[in-house]
Amino acid sequence: MKKTIILSLCLFLVAVGPILAGGNLLLKNGTILTVTKGTIPKGDILILDGFIRQIGENITAPAGVKVIDVSGKYIIPGIIDSHTHIALSGTNETGNAITAEVNMRDVLHAEDTSIFTAISGGVTTIHTLHGSANPIGGQNITLKLKWGKKAEEMIFAQAWPTLKFALGENVTQANRTVAGGEERRYPASRMGVVAIIRRELQRAREYIAQWDRYNEWQRLKILNRPLLPPCKDLQLEALADLLRGKLVARCHSYRSDETIEFIQLSHEFGFRVACFEHIPEAYKIAKELAAEKIGISVFMDSWAYKVEAAEGIATMPAYCAQQGVLVSINSDSNERIRRLFNDAAKAIKYGGLSEDEALKLITLNPAIQLGVDKWVGSLEVGKHGDVAVFNEHPLSAYTRCDLTIIEGDIYFDREAYLKERQEAQKVNPKPKLSGGGQ
Amino acid sequence: MRLRQLIFCLLLSIAALSIGSVRAEEVLAIIKVKIVPVVGEDIPQGTILVRGHKIEAVGSDVAIPSEAKIIDGQGLTAYPGMIDASSTLGLYEIGSLQATIDYRETGRLNPQVLTTEALRPDSMHIPITRSNGITAALVVPSGGLIPGRSGLIQLWGSTPPEMVIKSPVAMHVELPAISRGGFRRQAGPREEGSRQLEEVKELLHQARFYEKRKIAASKNKILALPDFDEKLEALLPVIHGELPLIISVHSAADIRAAIKFLQEEKLKGIFYGVSQGWMVAKEIAQANIPVIFGSLHDLPPSWEDGYDALYRNPGVLRQAGVKIAFSSSSASLAKELPYHAAKAAAFGLDKREALKAVTIYPAEILGVADLMGSLEKGKLANIVLAEGDILELRTVIRHVFIQGQEIDLSSAYTEFLEKYRKRNEKKS
Amino acid sequence: MKLKRLWFLALLLLITSPSWLTASGLTYAIVNCRLVSPPLPVIEKAVVIIRDGLIEAVGEAGKVPIPEDAEVIEAQGMIAYPGFIDAHTNLFLETPAAESAQPPTAGRPTAGATPEERSPAQPELLVLSQIKPRQTVINSFLKVGVTTVLVAPERGIFSGQSVLLNLNGEKPESMVVKNPVALHLQFVTARGSYPNSPMGTVAFIRQSFLDAAYYSQHLTTWKKSPRFLPRPVYNPFYEALAPFVNERKPVIITCNNQEDIKRAIRITQEFKLQAILSGANEAWRVAEELRAAKLPLLVALNFRPPATSLYSAQGEAVRRKAEQEVYPANPAALQKMGINFALTSLGLSDAATFQKNLQAAVKAGLPAEAALKALTITPAQILGVDSFLGTIEPGKIANVVLSSGDIFDAKSQVEKVWVDGQLFKIEKAPEAKGPAAISVAGAWKVTVSGPMGEMEMTMELEQEGSAVRGAISSSYGRWEIRDGAISGQELSFTLSVTIMGQSMDVAFSGRVEKDLIEGTLQVPGGAADFKATRIPREL
Repeated sequence: MKKTIILSLCLFLVAVGPILAGGNLLLKNGTILTVTKGTIPKGDILILDGFIRQIGENITAPAGVKVIDVSGKYIIPGIIDSHTHIALSGTNETGNAITAEVNMRDVLHAEDTSIFTAISGGVTTIHTLHGSANPIGGQNITLKLKWGKKAEEMIFAQAWPTLKFALGENVTQANRTVAGGEERRYPASRMGVVAIIRRELQRAREYIAQWDRYNEWQRLKILNRPLLPPCKDLQLEALADLLRGKLVARCHSYRSDETIEFIQLSHEFGFRVACFEHIPEAYKIAKELAAEKIGISVFMDSWAYKVEAAEGIATMPAYCAQQGVLVSINSDSNERIRRLFNDAAKAIKYGGLSEDEALKLITLNPAIQLGVDKWVGSLEVGKHGDVAVFNEHPLSAYTRCDLTIIEGDIYFDREAYLKERQEAQKVNPKPKLSGGGQ
Repeated sequence: MRLRQLIFCLLLSIAALSIGSVRAEEVLAIIKVKIVPVVGEDIPQGTILVRGHKIEAVGSDVAIPSEAKIIDGQGLTAYPGMIDASSTLGLYEIGSLQATIDYRETGRLNPQVLTTEALRPDSMHIPITRSNGITAALVVPSGGLIPGRSGLIQLWGSTPPEMVIKSPVAMHVELPAISRGGFRRQAGPREEGSRQLEEVKELLHQARFYEKRKIAASKNKILALPDFDEKLEALLPVIHGELPLIISVHSAADIRAAIKFLQEEKLKGIFYGVSQGWMVAKEIAQANIPVIFGSLHDLPPSWEDGYDALYRNPGVLRQAGVKIAFSSSSASLAKELPYHAAKAAAFGLDKREALKAVTIYPAEILGVADLMGSLEKGKLANIVLAEGDILELRTVIRHVFIQGQEIDLSSAYTEFLEKYRKRNEKKS
Repeated sequence: MKLKRLWFLALLLLITSPSWLTASGLTYAIVNCRLVSPPLPVIEKAVVIIRDGLIEAVGEAGKVPIPEDAEVIEAQGMIAYPGFIDAHTNLFLETPAAESAQPPTAGRPTAGATPEERSPAQPELLVLSQIKPRQTVINSFLKVGVTTVLVAPERGIFSGQSVLLNLNGEKPESMVVKNPVALHLQFVTARGSYPNSPMGTVAFIRQSFLDAAYYSQHLTTWKKSPRFLPRPVYNPFYEALAPFVNERKPVIITCNNQEDIKRAIRITQEFKLQAILSGANEAWRVAEELRAAKLPLLVALNFRPPATSLYSAQGEAVRRKAEQEVYPANPAALQKMGINFALTSLGLSDAATFQKNLQAAVKAGLPAEAALKALTITPAQILGVDSFLGTIEPGKIANVVLSSGDIFDAKSQVEKVWVDGQLFKIEKAPEAKGPAAISVAGAWKVTVSGPMGEMEMTMELEQEGSAVRGAISSSYGRWEIRDGAISGQELSFTLSVTIMGQSMDVAFSGRVEKDLIEGTLQVPGGAADFKATRIPREL
């Protein structure tokens, strides 16, 4: 009952539109790549209270609004990385194979320097996850990279709550040598991976049934003996929420066959798979992925580091996109996260995507996969003022991110950064938190 | 009559022989193409003439022999094939399978091993790399203090001898990497690079005296020959100055120590990595030591160095006068070579210098400038025809020639896709 | 005649009856001191009467009669304070060596393991069983004015229950003021078993409280009406935890950084715990959340920036600067924001550092009166002992500190300390900076034997006058010696030790003979014996 009240309150807020404590900015004279509504060769974007209010030419700034001249530069929507592990104080809970009870929201790390690395590469939103050590990992979270703010202020509450699943070599620990006499953790084969996930989902079904039964008994008061509810189990609650549709699955998979098996499981138990992660073999089953309307979140061309990655190809993202699959490019790395725009450009060379389609791989598509495309992912009036400014075309190898803006506030400014660095070299400064909340 | 028949047969056989040799000496003419020779001025529209393995002529006004096979370069730009100054191509297939990894020997000191003696010409990474315009690569060993010797290969051939251009090229020394601070979790204390250089000094010292004993024993048969020591033997070309050292070095302190080491030992050296090179750029330039960068797709050594440390490093060093070359430092991502160069150009390196640092400069540094690195008469016909700037991410490569042979641009990427395309697109 | 005898007897009984309840000991009259015991008003010239371990009377000089049997302590020019209460420390313990010290194994089947098997959490542990007080350590605390310490267990997520001790000797039983005080909760991980990640720890804590509450509910229901209900399976872990969820017994949650504080607040609110937050050296950064949560706060005088802080990611120089300039201002900032707190030595390895850091906190802006409250009445209130501790008032336990001057002044010395009414004279600190009687320069072979076993190391020392510098090297690395000082034959220094990524400061004090140094190292888990023999220099 309480849950429904809270849920409806949240929906209400969503419908009305959250009031962002956002900033005001006018960017002038830049080339605007909206991603969804074409390109404006020389245009302005006005952001007020964190929302994009106007996109066009010759916009005048209201009084008091900071104006930034970005002549000769390129403006794109803030980049979205839908698979990373930064801004967290832990990645994997390996103490058990099934750890659906852990929630990455409990271990946010707002002072992680990787956040700065990411915004230096134009990334404004991330989906940061439990690692891939377990068949069922934990609950993940989507953040806006507001470097310098508190962890709670970074949470992108409108994003779909997600549950991490993983298949394949990482889970079976196939690449780990086991000391003599030690038993391997179950599951140690792909057979076991499917079996354990089925087992857990079945347990969740029964947990729901137990609670339903208890609630019925309580309501009808049919039993004249003491009634104990089932014990609340955080792990089973998470899995039950998946079955109830309150969580969506994000599944790390590599091979086409294990992916198909997981899709079968999702049908068997009636839960939603939002996205497969990495899946280098996606091109083999593009047909199925498109028909199931399940997205993929992949590397552009990182491959051959494991056996299950030995048949990955750089043309996969473009090919799958052309076959109607919703494709996003991710980094899964605190280094590659700042080069996502380089990766997107390769989809033009390897596969022939258009510029806008290539940009969508790191903006609109991940936004749709996270359920936040209403607010981010393209430059449109009414969306959040999340913007990245580049000195050359973002899909050029020679480009560099100069400004990263989230909800109208500047979080990365290369010019200011260089100035600070120069100053720091002159004087021995007092230790300063450049970001990270005072 | 018989004489005439004899002469006719002779002429025929001579003709046959000459036809045979003419077939080996095929002539190729790439016409109407924009030419970026890298050495010399760009030619907006011209011709490249290839005879056999080599470039015969490059210019805007080149006479085309009648027997030449014509390649229409309309809309394309010709570049010299790029050279990867450090990679593991041919010695790496799949990272998690030890059986497919051969660039890392066990133990700390292995000067006796040579990478080109373990090449796998069928590596799936090679076709992918060459289809992106990279035609040669230095294959380097790794691990320990002296991992071994490297050799230069061309990315075409079915056997190692068919691939090797020059081997050995250098002896490798690896000093410790900087323990990461701010951008990664704190690592433990690390060894000082200077202490390891002392070890190398000691080894070279031993090698010198080993040789002296060998020479003395060969002159005086009474003296016993020293026990054969493969490691010291392998170091002899180094102390003779015939084989340069490539020293993998990162921190500013270690770079200084390495410069001193090379000067004291009077050895030819090249630096690899130099993550903090920008701190000591002048000293590297004054010491006349060329630099090969590691992958720019890496995090800076420490927070204080700045997020763009590795990106701006090449520009700073080039500005100071250091000769630079880029590398992929990879096998599976060797095709990224041009984008390391472009990334440096985005952060201060002149664009043309970036191009040189993947063509002529690595050729000069590795001692094969007479063979490759530019489109000039007499050099090997390693030519790339691209639809635009080869350092650009979006550029499609149309033709690649290695020693005058046109290379099939198919690879694992194209083969896998074709295999599955039918099932996805079949109208069921 | 009989009646007179009866009256006499009755009078005798009346006068002496309180005495037979407690031990004897001397009666003291501290006269002419300045008495500072907030929130009571300061008395410029005061008299304090101590009898049978309790404060018998307090008042202005001249107004309080001096008992005949009292030893008069002339305290003209000195200041009397209530004995400081250090409300959270892990010292005075000797924790047994970790059982099952298996290397962390992935692949160990852990599914289905019970909570006790899964982690070394032991909420039922009473840390009193692990108390091992050493006189040298006790003396060092008395020297800085601390008479009462809360000793907390240090291992595990639910690490056990703490005890409050008066530092009146070495016998744990007679030291106990309150046992147990609270359950201790820490956001640590269990290496090699579940939970081995921070998010696993949070989930584990939540599930444990849920399970304990459920267990307790089951037990209650069953006891009331057992028919047709399966009886609950006995579980010591849940038995131990249940009172903290049901009866809201106090829980002290150690928070190492600002995120821990927020986690602690969330868990407290979810399970309606009666929680006290401890550690919190970054508390100023979440002051708003703390103010809203209204939870009692124990602030550690440990200024080391937590590993998660950006200060720790910018190199050693910045980290050290933050330790010296930023974190000492934490207590002052909290006080300015109106947040009440007690000060503790948690994370520090010796009392001298506690004193030094206390002075630094005052220097950084914490008003002296606030500091004093945070060491006396506030911890007494938070720990629920303010009815008999925390101020100098008649009837309360006689824990009194007599200082030569303002206790926060580095030049002042604590000269006399009463704990439970027993007098401890503090030896004057040896005249520092005097010519050293002996040279320790050179190489030494060191053996350290303590709770973690025996370790061999080498030590290199240099000496300049009475200042000592150097380093200790072992297979774990090279550690620098700081604040090394030798006075006469007494040597002391601090070591900054880093093992496997963890950093800590370890304090040494000992005596030097010609070729032999012997003393004690304060290490986590207790004290270790330190013995060094000189390595003769080869000629």
